[in-house]
Amino acid sequence: MQKLSEEQLENLAQDLDAIRNEQMADLGQKDADYIRGIIRLHRTLEFGGRALMPLGFIPPFFLAGMTSLGIAKILENMEIGHNVMHGQYDWMNDPELNSQTYEWDTICTADSWKRTHNYEHHTYTNVIGKDRDYGYAVLRLEDETPWKPMHLLQMINFINLSVFFQWGVGVHELEFEKLRSGEVTLREKAEFLRDFARKGGRQVFKDYAFYPALTLPVAPVVIAGNFGANLIRNLWASSVIFCGHFTEDAESFTEEECENESRGHWYLRQLTGSSNFTGLNWVYTLSGHLSHQIEHHVFPDIPAYRYREISPQVQAVCEKYGLHYNADSFPRQYATVLKRVTAFSLPDRMRERLFPEFNEGDEQGKVADRTTSTSLVSRLRNRVSSTLSVAA
Amino acid sequence: MQESMNMEKGVDRGQGRSYRGVLARVGPGRDTWRWLGQQLFNRENPAMYFDPLLESINPLWAQRYIPARVEAIEAETHDSKTLTLRPARRWGGFRAGQHLNLEVEKDGRWYSRPFSLSCSPSHWEQDGTITVTIKKVADGEVTPWLLEHFEPGDVIGISRAYGEDHTPEPGRPMLFITGGSGITPVLSQLEAMADRHLRNPVTLLYFVRTDADVIGGRKLEALAERLPNLELRIVAAEQDPQNPDHLGPHHLQAVEGLTERDCFLCGPPGLMKHAQNLLADAGVPEEKVSSTLFAVGPGVVVTEDAGGTVHFSRSDITVESAGDRRLLEEAESAGLNPRYGCRMGICHQCSCRKTSGIVINQQTGQPSGYGEETIQLCINVPQGAVELDL
Repeated sequence: MQKLSEEQLENLAQDLDAIRNEQMADLGQKDADYIRGIIRLHRTLEFGGRALMPLGFIPPFFLAGMTSLGIAKILENMEIGHNVMHGQYDWMNDPELNSQTYEWDTICTADSWKRTHNYEHHTYTNVIGKDRDYGYAVLRLEDETPWKPMHLLQMINFINLSVFFQWGVGVHELEFEKLRSGEVTLREKAEFLRDFARKGGRQVFKDYAFYPALTLPVAPVVIAGNFGANLIRNLWASSVIFCGHFTEDAESFTEEECENESRGHWYLRQLTGSSNFTGLNWVYTLSGHLSHQIEHHVFPDIPAYRYREISPQVQAVCEKYGLHYNADSFPRQYATVLKRVTAFSLPDRMRERLFPEFNEGDEQGKVADRTTSTSLVSRLRNRVSSTLSVAA
Repeated sequence: MQESMNMEKGVDRGQGRSYRGVLARVGPGRDTWRWLGQQLFNRENPAMYFDPLLESINPLWAQRYIPARVEAIEAETHDSKTLTLRPARRWGGFRAGQHLNLEVEKDGRWYSRPFSLSCSPSHWEQDGTITVTIKKVADGEVTPWLLEHFEPGDVIGISRAYGEDHTPEPGRPMLFITGGSGITPVLSQLEAMADRHLRNPVTLLYFVRTDADVIGGRKLEALAERLPNLELRIVAAEQDPQNPDHLGPHHLQAVEGLTERDCFLCGPPGLMKHAQNLLADAGVPEEKVSSTLFAVGPGVVVTEDAGGTVHFSRSDITVESAGDRRLLEEAESAGLNPRYGCRMGICHQCSCRKTSGIVINQQTGQPSGYGEETIQLCINVPQGAVELDL
């Protein structure tokens, strides 16, 4: 990882704290108006979508209803739920927007999410072995984890995770890999499983039993539309989140590096372990402002729509300490995610040759490798790379 | 608990006619609604899910608090006003001497502040209005803004009425000792007496700073007409700065049959304590004295330095904090086991409700407000007495 001296780390913490304090002191009516406006939009889209769905036997209505409900779920999960549960609006003292009581429209329970995401992921960001969000225990994204033949097929895991993202997030805390290795027992997870079943049952009941039953003659259309809406949300949410930490330049860390770390070191990890994507303002809103993953990780409890305006300040801080501010367009960032998933599915030696950009250490070696090697493997690499850049 | 008790006691005006009343009789039960609300909207109270839209159509349809339309605002003194409110019909009514909270949003933040109802219940029963009298608390977070911000026609949030029922009983001689804005619940009680044509001998000792500080002057005059046995003594204690006239034994000696009277005290804590002592000295039995502690102002001691008494209310444990340890550590060393995560202010796993008192956020150095709000235990220290829901 990029290194800074203890003194630099301390200054880094001070600089970032100053930005944070300025924002916290400025919280007020405009934040309240913003989030309420988003909530109104969400309710309108949800009720609108559910009202259109029974007319779904007419194709344009089906499309409109499904999209409306899909966007509603995206807004609720990302711009409202995720941000409220981070405590971004706790200062409003509004019981509807309280991090401790908010429950969101997805399979994962708020409590489980707050344990695995707010605590584990945000505290131990990208620390291999401690941040289970780094690869969700089904993807190998760095060479700290030993390669196994099953990793060859991890692109399938990646696609499944994208399509069934809410279920993946829902069972995340089950720690399936630890159950398999015997590190934890099913008995220890009994409480989690009970809550998971209750919340999962609710979500399934709502979208696939209650609303279809309400519109019985056209129930299959409503079921299909609701499935489509959930799929839209799953694909978008997973893509946004993958772009936040799995991009080519996002760093990962070892447990040793982070032992007894200072606040400055924690800040450094957030800056270098996260990545942003750029786009239009409505794309930012639909991503819950996780387009600004770097700002979010540095300041998880500042109302997210402010990330846009503080981004230049954070960039300036990065520049001051010579840190790479990892931002690019959404398609480009997503392409590097695909590249990383592909690269680390390969055995290390093959990866080192095919994807030298993921090799740690000297850049010289990379260049040399690229220019001198003319093997079959090298030509294969070139083909894969160029396909990916065309896709971007 | 107090609130639910009062809901039962409260006069259920209009309940039978409202859609809720109808639903309760013919529709699925309350539990079914709650269950359905959880399934469809992930909320105990499904009605709240619709609030953002309902409110933008008509603010009086909001469900998360009880909306009330401001009908009129009248200045009482230079720093107090009486608001006449018309609550939404589902409000449960009140008894004389009870209080309610005004729920307001100021600069994006919700505040809930207690005030006494200053009219008799008959106002609500007959024309659906109530009055609340607000006195400005110097340096207060809310009252100065409250007095400036609202205009007739605006909508303000209120809670259900709560507090002891002080409806006067017939025949008993009474003595009220009040100071400042402590007159407000007494106005409600006296008006309730007048409505019921009670003829109890009543003495009101009302202490104010100067003649210009009398709250409810017009109402008291009208009450004196309607209550023939009301003896009204308004004492402007500091009218003559050279010769102040604070509550003393001589005021009580002038009250006829003092020891026979039911005494009711309401005012600043200092005055109430003093009155209690004087009444005890004068031989009034303790059980005949009742009071409403109506905290004037913050109601907490504001200290300069960190540190203070921390009360964990759910487990009923009190600890003294020197202010050098964060609340999470204080709670743990008191034997509590609060939920926590990062212990560095990131994850909000240890957030809990502070019911009163001021805490300082050690990351920003900023003090909190003194009201109820959510705080992070791992980065806050107490400043003065603090009560936590732990």
